Amino acid sequence: MTSLLDVRDLTFHYADRAGPVRAVDNVSFSLASGGSALGLVGESGSGKSSLALAIMRMLPTNVARYDGEVWLDGQELLGMAENRFRQEIRWRKLALVPQGAQNGFNPVLRVGEQIIEPLVVSGAAGKREARARAQELLAYVGLPADVYLRYPHELSGGMKQRAMIAAALILEPPVVIMDEPTSALDASVQTQITNLLKRLKQDMNLAIIFITHDIALASDLCDDLAVVYAGEIVEIGSAEQVLLHPSHPYTQRLLASIPRLHSDTLPQFIPGAPPDLREPPAGCRFHPRCPLVFEPCAQKSPPAFEPADGQMARCWLIEDGSG
Amino acid sequence: MSLLRPLLVRSLTMVGVFFVVLLMLVLTLGLTGFSDRILSATIGEQLRAERTALAETIRDPDEMEKVLEKRREELEIFYGLSTPWYYRLPRTALRVLTLDLGEARTLRSFDGSNRVFDIVTERVPNSMLLLTTSLIITATIGIIAGAYLATRQGSWLDRFVSGFAAVSFAVPTWWIGILLILILSIQLRILPSGGMYSTPPPTQPLPRFFDLVAHALLPVITLVLVSFGPSIYSIRTITLNIAQEDHVKIARAKGLPESRVRLRHILRVAAPPIVTGLMFGLAGSLSGSILVETVFNWQGMGRLYYDALAGTPDENVIVALTFIFTLMYVVIRIVLEALYVFLDPRVRYTD
Amino acid sequence: MNMASAFRELLRSGPGFGGASLMALLLTAALYVLLAFPLDFGESQWSNPVIWVDNPKAVPPAWTNPLRQDARPLHRVFEGAEPQTVQTARSGPVHSWRFPFTYASSHPPTFLAVTLADVNYAERPPLVLISLKRPDGKQLRIYRHTVRGPREDENGPFLRYAETPLRVQLSTDEATVTAAQNFLAEEFDLRLDGGQIGGRVDRILFGVPAGSADDAFAPLTGDYEIIIQAALREEGDSVGKVRFVVGGGVFGLMGTDSLGRDLARGLLFGLPVALFIGVIAALMSTAIGTSLGIASGYLGGRADIAIQRFSDIVANVPVLPLLIFMLFIIGPSLWMIIVILVAFGWSGLTIQVRSMVLHMRANQLIEAIQSLGASRRRVMFRHILPQITPYVLAQLIFAAPSAILAEAGLSFLGLGDPSIPTWGQILETGFRTGGIYVGYWWWIVPPGLCIVLTALTFMLLALGIEPIVNPRLRQPAS
Ligand SMILES: Nc1ncnc2c1ncn2[C@@H]1O[C@H](COP(=O)(O)OP(=O)(O)OP(=O)(O)O)[C@@H](O)[C@H]1O
Ligand code: SF4
Ligand SMILES: [Mg+2]
Repeated sequence: MTSLLDVRDLTFHYADRAGPVRAVDNVSFSLASGGSALGLVGESGSGKSSLALAIMRMLPTNVARYDGEVWLDGQELLGMAENRFRQEIRWRKLALVPQGAQNGFNPVLRVGEQIIEPLVVSGAAGKREARARAQELLAYVGLPADVYLRYPHELSGGMKQRAMIAAALILEPPVVIMDEPTSALDASVQTQITNLLKRLKQDMNLAIIFITHDIALASDLCDDLAVVYAGEIVEIGSAEQVLLHPSHPYTQRLLASIPRLHSDTLPQFIPGAPPDLREPPAGCRFHPRCPLVFEPCAQKSPPAFEPADGQMARCWLIEDGSG
Repeated sequence: MSLLRPLLVRSLTMVGVFFVVLLMLVLTLGLTGFSDRILSATIGEQLRAERTALAETIRDPDEMEKVLEKRREELEIFYGLSTPWYYRLPRTALRVLTLDLGEARTLRSFDGSNRVFDIVTERVPNSMLLLTTSLIITATIGIIAGAYLATRQGSWLDRFVSGFAAVSFAVPTWWIGILLILILSIQLRILPSGGMYSTPPPTQPLPRFFDLVAHALLPVITLVLVSFGPSIYSIRTITLNIAQEDHVKIARAKGLPESRVRLRHILRVAAPPIVTGLMFGLAGSLSGSILVETVFNWQGMGRLYYDALAGTPDENVIVALTFIFTLMYVVIRIVLEALYVFLDPRVRYTD
Repeated sequence: MNMASAFRELLRSGPGFGGASLMALLLTAALYVLLAFPLDFGESQWSNPVIWVDNPKAVPPAWTNPLRQDARPLHRVFEGAEPQTVQTARSGPVHSWRFPFTYASSHPPTFLAVTLADVNYAERPPLVLISLKRPDGKQLRIYRHTVRGPREDENGPFLRYAETPLRVQLSTDEATVTAAQNFLAEEFDLRLDGGQIGGRVDRILFGVPAGSADDAFAPLTGDYEIIIQAALREEGDSVGKVRFVVGGGVFGLMGTDSLGRDLARGLLFGLPVALFIGVIAALMSTAIGTSLGIASGYLGGRADIAIQRFSDIVANVPVLPLLIFMLFIIGPSLWMIIVILVAFGWSGLTIQVRSMVLHMRANQLIEAIQSLGASRRRVMFRHILPQITPYVLAQLIFAAPSAILAEAGLSFLGLGDPSIPTWGQILETGFRTGGIYVGYWWWIVPPGLCIVLTALTFMLLALGIEPIVNPRLRQPAS
């Protein structure tokens, strides 16, 4: 079965004065088809945004290492010539709603102009046509039509977030990466946006990669979940599998840390601090904080085990437990 | 959406500047007794003139003195010398405000008028020519080189330019002008050392124009030479900061051609702060051109200062120059403010 | 961070090290000037033409000679007090001074001048004779002077040329012209009239007729001797001082201006003046700017608004026209320049300090301290001031060069304090008297370079200090 998006062994290190920052290490996952969402969940600094940038080939100037494969619709992206990648993939096949979309807009141009820009520049549509399309999208994401003519600073944070979503959809890409689209917003707006995304996924047959540090939020929207820890995906599976049968100790801890309304158990925090990605711990990167740590953990990096069909986790415990 | 209101708000400081300068003029003239001295001198002169005229008709010296004494009193009332300066000078200020600037002592306009208004205003276009040409060239170099340098941050060229910019702040513009004269016109005899036209000036329009260009070259080079380093450096820093903003990354992610990213999403965003930089540099540029005009005998307001100060100083001209200079500065500032409001929607109000 | 470690850090940065070493150099030189020059140097020497009469006018520095194809003559001054030989002639004692020198330049001297001072005689006035002995063995008398005799109601002994020494410019002296005329006629059988000789006496005395043209002279190099003789009438008569100047075509370290002033001395004296202007103006405007900024930020309310508006306006005033105007009205004085520069120079700092104070006021610590009952003043001086001091210090150094440049610009417009020579004023005279159009670069370039160097020293220091006091600029240390 060929999937829509296939990320294989993607590795992306920043160059830093003290050595490489291993922000993305050997990450593999795939998105089967449109109309579904994959949640990338992890603590702050675990490399989620870096992973998004690596997929989008939005590289900063300080790259120490960048390799692996990203297959989209049967095409490998990392090896593609820059010009072709720009013309055929960027925004057309792969769009991004950046973390802090508040700053994603050019402050001196009107919002509408920025939404239709890729459409008009590529020559796919005239200005009038593009405007009609943009206004449709604005209405879809729940914004009044006059937003088209407004400047970014005239919109609230939530409005900008929606406008950014509309901008990402203008070329009808099959895959959209949304990096913490709701984290800067208050709870009610957060819910509205999540609902919008749910609708979107269905209506437009969109594949969404939803990045968040909030596993509860991800569970609401996503069909699949990937848990990111220290630059690696430590567990991945369907939302059900990951939520109900977490097999990696980190996932378990993460779930236990969610405050629950109708429960007597207090949320439990994960002791210790997330590792420094310049010098991640040897072996299993979670081992300094893992309550279940045992001999092999610090020696060898655990490979991907399959605790259940379609579920993957990197933990030596699984080798022991499931054979 | 209105451009006018934010413009008014932003121009308020300029109006304040204008009146503060006017106040300083009046206070300096009044408190130092300078205004009184000038008026008595004027009255004395007039009386002397009248004495010679009256000498024809009045023979008796005593009567002459009496007549003249009476005349003096009349004149003192006429010129307001009989009232203290703080009553008189506000009226003078008002007169100056209506551009009634009096008459010059020795200086004359190009066609011989001694009205200060004529003398000063005919210089304004010459000053503006020098100032705007050099500002435009500096800004153009700054934008092109600054945008380029921003892509080569930390290179030796980048470091060289920031060093050069720092040195530029330590160099008096006019001295560079003198050096250029010494090298290019005295030693190498490539360019004229001063003036605006050769003597006699060419009469045909085209040769006349080229003559003007040849004469403008050195002063413009001087002004550009000391200001392009800081200009490149500040535009480099501005674009560098903007280039790191998220919306630029998004513009690239949108698959826009790099040229469009640079122009619409970096330079266009850099435009308002660049205009701000121009505004802050304006006073410096004006001072620079006062002195550079002096060096190159460029018949602008700056050179007029020098001429009015030399020999027997022409007070009216100096007062008027200071006033018109400030006025010009305030007007340019307000034009720049308008440009800023036009360029940056963030300062505009929504109704 | 304490001062010592901050200083060490300053020296480690490129601009900081450069600025600090240049500053040390400048300060040493300024200190030397203060010790070696009279404080009223401007009035007593610089603008006193008597001091400079014996210098050649507008000549380049001596060190330019090796760079030329034909070296210009060096400037030579011969002075004598005690006579070298004393003979007795029939008329009375003859005191004489002999000044031998080698003349190697192919240019004639720019002028010849003799000065006599403190002549004493009992009854009859002495006679002074000056001869020139040339390398070709010929000798001629170039000057002869009888000291002024007694006036009718005057009684001896007589003292002459004490207050104002007698100075004669031989190059233009009629007697010398005649002497040259006779010399040519006798020795070379060349008869020229006074008009042909006038202005070329030096060329004739230091050359030989050459070629076909009657008035062409080739330079004569070799050993010359000036012989000054004073024929006195009585024992006890004396000539207190003789001075003979063979005017050079080059002079000293920095050459001279058109009045013959030694530019090296003017430039040297300009250094402490420039430093003084920079430091005092910067100190005063920084003090005002900081206190108003603190007041504005700390007091808040209406005072804040008033100060803010005011500094906003002052910061935007185009200063130079106003400076010109006020100096013109009030009259040029160094203090006035400084006062006006300060009056318009404080506002930028006020705005910055205010925002820093506001930032700190938001700081919880200050609030906590305040709630513990510390007085406002105490908070201001013990907690806010120390935090902004380093920043203010950097601004202080930044402010100095602009004051120096402003003074130079005003001086260049002719608004400098006439009693205190500054670099700007030296440039101004060079410009106003047209020195630039005849290429007197040594008059134009060095003062400008001095200004640039001094301003640059402050700039470098400020650039070096900035990253130390402004942690934001520091690269993330990791
Ligand atoms: N340009 C960069 N250069 C060097 N290191 C970087 C750069 N950008 C990010 N990093 C480092 O890479 C690691 C991962 O950062 P990233 O932004 O991908 O985390 P994240 O999971 O998105 O965190 P958050 O939830 O806070 O957004 C961090 O340790 C960060 O310090
Ligand atoms: S491998 Fe070991 S340390 Fe790592 S998560 Fe599993 S048990 Fe914990
Ligand atoms: Mg992130």
